[in-house]
Amino acid sequence: MSQENSLEIKNLNIEYLTRSGTVHAVKDASFSVAKKETLGIVGESGCGKSTTGHAILKLLPSNARTKGEIVYKGRNVLTMPEKEVRHLRGKDISIVFQDPMTSLDPIMRVKDHFLELMRAHKPNVKEEEVIQTASEALEAAGVSKKRLDNYPFEFSGGMRQRVMIALGIALKPNVIVADEPTTSLDVVVQEQIMEVFRHLKKTKDMSIVLITHDLGIVAELADKVVVMYAGEVMEYADVYNLYKNPLHPYTQLLLKSVPNIKIDDMELHHIPGSLPDLKNLPQGCRFYDRCPFAKEKCKKEEPPIFKVDKREVRCWLYE
Amino acid sequence: MRILLSIPMILIILTIVFFVLRVLPGNPVLAMLGPKAPPEIIHAMEHQMGLDKPIIVQYFIYLSHIAVGNFGTSSYTSLPVLQELLQKFPATFELTFYSMIIAVFIGIFLGSYAAYNFGKPMDIFARVYSIFVYSFPVFWFGIMLQLIFGVWLHWLPVSGRSAPFMIPNHIYTGVYTLDAILNGQWDVLTDAIKHLVLPSFTLGVVISSIFVRMVRSNVLLSLSSQYVTAARARGESEKKILFKHALKNSMPPILTIMGLQFALLLAGAILTETTFSWPGIGNYLITRISYRDFPAIQGAIVFFAFFVAVISILVDIVNAWIDPRIRY
Repeated sequence: MSQENSLEIKNLNIEYLTRSGTVHAVKDASFSVAKKETLGIVGESGCGKSTTGHAILKLLPSNARTKGEIVYKGRNVLTMPEKEVRHLRGKDISIVFQDPMTSLDPIMRVKDHFLELMRAHKPNVKEEEVIQTASEALEAAGVSKKRLDNYPFEFSGGMRQRVMIALGIALKPNVIVADEPTTSLDVVVQEQIMEVFRHLKKTKDMSIVLITHDLGIVAELADKVVVMYAGEVMEYADVYNLYKNPLHPYTQLLLKSVPNIKIDDMELHHIPGSLPDLKNLPQGCRFYDRCPFAKEKCKKEEPPIFKVDKREVRCWLYE
Repeated sequence: MRILLSIPMILIILTIVFFVLRVLPGNPVLAMLGPKAPPEIIHAMEHQMGLDKPIIVQYFIYLSHIAVGNFGTSSYTSLPVLQELLQKFPATFELTFYSMIIAVFIGIFLGSYAAYNFGKPMDIFARVYSIFVYSFPVFWFGIMLQLIFGVWLHWLPVSGRSAPFMIPNHIYTGVYTLDAILNGQWDVLTDAIKHLVLPSFTLGVVISSIFVRMVRSNVLLSLSSQYVTAARARGESEKKILFKHALKNSMPPILTIMGLQFALLLAGAILTETTFSWPGIGNYLITRISYRDFPAIQGAIVFFAFFVAVISILVDIVNAWIDPRIRY
C-alpha cells in the first residue's frame, strides 16, 4: 500500500504453546493502518483480535510464538531488540486495555503513572512538564486535572478507562490500539468512552486500531474494517462497502445478528455453531461448519484471500 | 485501635503460661532449696513467695502486678525480673534484627528473581533452596556452621557475644554493634560482628526459606496482573516493573506473613541462643525453666508476646503506608 501507512501487518502468525497442544491464534493476517485512519478489528470472542492487538506492541505472554511482520516506520517490531520496542511503547504506539479496573497499579497515584510513562522515555523529565502533559491528556479524556493526586481506587470504572486513554494519548503516539475499551463497562459509560474516542479521532492526528465486537461502534468510527474469524482475516474492506454489501458469509451473518428496531422482527438472529478448536483446526475453510453456502471444496481446501474491487475476502465464493 | 487489640492477645498468652507452669510438675522452692530441705523452711518460703495461696488468687495478684509493669522478683536470683529482661533484651534484639535482615534480603532477592525467571534454573534453585533449608533444624544447622567455620576453619567464634574485654566502654543501648559505633571502638565493632555472623546467619537462613517461597508466589501473582502488562505498555523496563510494580504490590501480604513469622523467629532465637550461648532472653528462658523460676519464665514469655505485638503493629503501619487502600 501507500507510504502513508503508519502500521503494516504482513502475514502475521501467532501460536501459543500450551501443555495441551499448540493454539493457532492468528494465521496469515495482513492489513494496514493509514495515517489518521481508524481501523476496526471485529469478530467474536477468541478469534484472535486481542492477540493481534497485543502483538503490535509485542506484549504477548512468553508462551506465544510469532512469525511475519509488523512494520512500523519501516522496521519490523517483531524482530526489533526488546530495548528498542520499549521505546516505542507508550510513545509511538500505545494501548488501552479491556479492563480498566485492573490496568492501573492500585498503589500508584494517577500522577505517578504519568511520571512513569514520561520517565521511561525521557529519564530526566521535569515534574512540572509531566503535570502539564498529564493535565492536557486528562482534560482531553474528560478527567479533571485536580484528580492527578488520586489513587485508582478512588475512581469508577469509566473514569479509570478515561485515565488509561489519557495515558495512551499523553505522548501523542502515532498509533493507539484500543483493545475492547468498552467491553467491561456498563452501557451508559460505554457511550461516554466512545464519545472520548470520537473526540480523539476528530482532534488528534493519530491512527486508531479499534478492537471490538460492537459492530455499531465500528460502523460509526472506523474507516476500514478487518473481520476476523478463528484467527484468520475473513474480510478486509472500507467500512461503507462492508456494511452496505458484505461479501463473506460470516460478515453477512454477523451483520444480520445485530438487532434492528426499525424492522418489525422480534427474533434475534445468531450464527449457529461455535468456533473451531484452535488446537485442532479443520483442513478446509475455518468457517465451513457454520457457513450456509458451504460446498465440498470448502471442506477440503482452505480458501486464500481473493481481491474483489480493492476489497479482500477469504472465501471460495469469490474465486 | 491496633494497640488495644494486642492487649487480649498478651493476656491470653499470659494466662496460658501462668496455668501451664503451675499444672506441670516441679516446684520453684524445691528447685531452689534442693530435695533435702526441711518442710518448715519450704512452707515458709512458699508463704513468702505467695505460693501457698489458691492458684486463682495468685493469678489475679500476678495480673494486677503485670498491669502496673511489675514483673515480680526472680525466685532464682532475687532480682527484679523486668530488670533482668531489659538487660538480656538487647542481645536478643541484636540477634533477631540481623537475622531478619539476612532473611528479608535473601527472601526478597531470591524470591523475586525466581518469580521473574519462572521455570528457569534460577527458579528451580530457589525452590530447592527453600525446601532444603526449611527442613534444617535450627540447632543442627547452627552446630554444622560452628563445626565448619569455628572448629575446622577457625574463622569465627562459636559462642557468646564478645571476646573477653571486648565490650563497649559505655553501654548506651546494649546492642553491641550500635554501642561500639557510638563509642568509636572499631575493634569492639569487628569483634561483635564476628560473634554475630554465625548465629544470625543460622537463624536468618532458616527463616529465609519461608520468605523465599512467599515472595516468589506473591510476586508471581503480581507479575501476571494487568497493571504489569500496562506498565510494560508504557515502556517501563523489566527491572523497574519487577521492583516498582510487582514487588511493591506484593509487599503488604509479604509483610503481614513476615510479621506472623516473627513469632517463629523468636522461637528460633531461643534455639539459636542456646546453641551459640548467646546471652539473650531465649537463653535466659531456658535456664530459668530448669529452675522453675515462675516469675522469670512468665516475664520472658510476656516479653516475647509484647515483642510480637509491637512487630505486628509496625507491619500494619508500614502496610498502610505502602497501600493507600489500607486505612485504620
